[in-house]
Amino acid sequence: MSVVQAILGLLSWFALAYFAFLAGLYTWFTLVAWRTLAALRRARAYAPLDEIYASPFAPGVSMLLPAYNEEAGVVASATSLLALRYPRHEVIVINDGSTDGTLQQLQEAFDLVPVREALRSRIPAKPLHGAYVSRRHRNLWVLDKENGGKADALNAGINAASHPYFCAVDADAILEDDSLLRIVKPVIDDPDGLVAAAGIIRIANGATISGGRMLDFRLPRSRLATMQVVEYFRAFLVGRIGWDSLGALLVVSGAFGLFRRSAVEEVGGYALGTVGEDIELVVRLQARLRERHAKFRIAFVPEPTCWTEAPEDLKTLSTQRRRWQRGLGETLWRHRRMMANPRYGAVGLLALPYFLVAEFLGSVIEVFGIFIVVAAVATGAVTVSALLAYTAVSMLIWILLSFSAILLEEYAIRRYVHGRDIAKMVLYSLSESIGYRQLNAFWRCQAMVDLARRRKGWGTMPRRGLERPTEAPPGRMTRV
Amino acid sequence: MSLMVAVSACFMALSFALLTTLALRHAVLGRRDQHTADAERRMRPLAIGLMEDGDPVPDLSQADQRALATVMGRYSRKVSGGTSERIGGYFREGGGLAAELEGMRSRRAWRRAAAAYALGDMACPEVVPMLAAALEDRNDEVRAAAVRSLGRLRDPTVTETLVESLVAHRVPRGMAGAALLQLGSDAVPELRRIAAHEDAAVRQVAMTVLGLVGDSGDADVALVALRDPAADVRAAAARALARIGTGSAEPALREALGDPEHFVRAHAARALGAIGAYTAVPRLVEIARTDRFKPARAAAQAVAAIDPETLVAEAAGPDAGAHLHEAADLALI
Repeated sequence: MSVVQAILGLLSWFALAYFAFLAGLYTWFTLVAWRTLAALRRARAYAPLDEIYASPFAPGVSMLLPAYNEEAGVVASATSLLALRYPRHEVIVINDGSTDGTLQQLQEAFDLVPVREALRSRIPAKPLHGAYVSRRHRNLWVLDKENGGKADALNAGINAASHPYFCAVDADAILEDDSLLRIVKPVIDDPDGLVAAAGIIRIANGATISGGRMLDFRLPRSRLATMQVVEYFRAFLVGRIGWDSLGALLVVSGAFGLFRRSAVEEVGGYALGTVGEDIELVVRLQARLRERHAKFRIAFVPEPTCWTEAPEDLKTLSTQRRRWQRGLGETLWRHRRMMANPRYGAVGLLALPYFLVAEFLGSVIEVFGIFIVVAAVATGAVTVSALLAYTAVSMLIWILLSFSAILLEEYAIRRYVHGRDIAKMVLYSLSESIGYRQLNAFWRCQAMVDLARRRKGWGTMPRRGLERPTEAPPGRMTRV
Repeated sequence: MSLMVAVSACFMALSFALLTTLALRHAVLGRRDQHTADAERRMRPLAIGLMEDGDPVPDLSQADQRALATVMGRYSRKVSGGTSERIGGYFREGGGLAAELEGMRSRRAWRRAAAAYALGDMACPEVVPMLAAALEDRNDEVRAAAVRSLGRLRDPTVTETLVESLVAHRVPRGMAGAALLQLGSDAVPELRRIAAHEDAAVRQVAMTVLGLVGDSGDADVALVALRDPAADVRAAAARALARIGTGSAEPALREALGDPEHFVRAHAARALGAIGAYTAVPRLVEIARTDRFKPARAAAQAVAAIDPETLVAEAAGPDAGAHLHEAADLALI
């Protein structure tokens, strides 16, 4: 056997070991998810939602809705937030210098009147052009500001928030009406310890929505969007629950997350200059609170649901995935001192190394893994039958995880009641490993090139709006 | 190689097993949900007849009995008096109460929690001591369910136990607060007594709840608490006076505008606004101009509540500041 053959053989076994590691980790997370969701299902019999709703001690929550060129969906989103079942909340829409009709849509829908609003100035943000309050809903505020990006818009919203907790929600998202009650539950249980809570994000492309409310849950018609439904199940019902069980949750999705305002103000708010402001904020909170030896919790709550629009074409999906990968890379670089650092507990020793190896470099390993294994077969270092077996195993692992995630959803949450939708998800899980995964890995590799070239910006996506089929302007998407 | 084939075969078998479970689960759950919804719909007239007129319950299948118990439990949250007694009677005689009392002795925490929760909807006051004891349960979900049910059963003798559990962090603050609120005015004598408790946290909760369930006759307790050494108690007293205070509270609240703690000043300003303390307007305007964000905003809003014309005039001045501007704009809407 030549040296080249030996190296290729070694590398192919390394790739196999990498897949085995991932499979092992996800199997473990799946078992944790089963236990957690079984407990959640039983706890539904004694979920005190009515009591939270009636409690004078339920914390006030400011809902922050940053909007940049979101005329297609901003009114539906704001309406859904106003209709939330919660005793004390306000909605603050931050129009981040939109160039479309976002502000006009809001003005027409909610009868806005200008108010000289008094704002805190704890977190720097771009100047306001004006503030408005709705004549119809006195708990709806609209801030019209100079464009500064999503993080800057959220910081302006935090400065205007009058409640001790805030909830960041994407302008293309629709929350279920008891989502806020459910995401606040950990605050009710542990008001001194809870710093942030993440809800679950689901894909709304196929759902029927009216007046900002979900009427029927169906799978998207688009194959690409359906593929993402199962992907989201895995990410939330398995990944998030797993990391939460280790106290090392790093992602509270920008589409729907609850934060204690004072904690975010203390760390300086959302960071500018990154497209991964959601993950960056959580990692920074983890860092500061652990450095201070504070007793705190950042929780994932599997039931509160946020429905959002998923890309339905490859170009838009690639833009989204490249941006997510860049955001992750930027965060890992900014917080590199935490990597493998025991001072930061499970975050430093487990979560960050995992995100570096599996989520960030994983794409490179996957793409090069394919080339290496093919080269190994070509040079005779690995036999064809071994290649087939290797391929079968790696595909079956993902199929197994996908089936498990669908079963978890069906067992504990059950949003999709139509048998045809379940069957469709199963079929799409079978095909996910052929093409879709490799494309994702390729896009993430491209994002690393973007990072090296210091490319900034969010990219654009054609938005249809969840409630009405309009030709929409460019907008932004949500991190999974 | 053979290892890989074996692993593949295992994975395939597992995938097939998961698929089969998924199909079965979907079919079973779909049918069960449908049956439960149908049974509850059928049992609704029966439950109403039983609650309103004491109609006898015919022989029912186990599934229908469960559905009837669910419907009755749901209705019990909205009724009181004779209707409530009839619901209690149904659960005592039908075996529902005995089953949940047995559940309270289960080794499984979720079963105890479910039982503690269900007992709150059965309108049987004899379970109060057992639920009060469950506030010491080792599992937090059992304690939370017990505190919720104690609130539902509205027995004022548990007021102090509830407050102490809340202060000791044995039960979630929000849940205990809701339970105390449900006890309503019956809890007032107990709340007045524990407003002088040695523990400042107990005094704070007592003042907060008294402010929600008491009336102007309880303002004297809040006025005493407004001079409490603990700032949280002073803030709770000011907040209570916003609802139960009268004109006689004005001097004490005006004095509280000079409190060293900004959140006490904010609550005092809000209370002055709520009781319409006209003579406090100049001081409130000054606070709106010069104080920190929270008391300044509260003071401006209080001026808006007391005297909108003065507010608009003051907001037009050159040194009005952001809070008076904001309150004036809001007042004009």
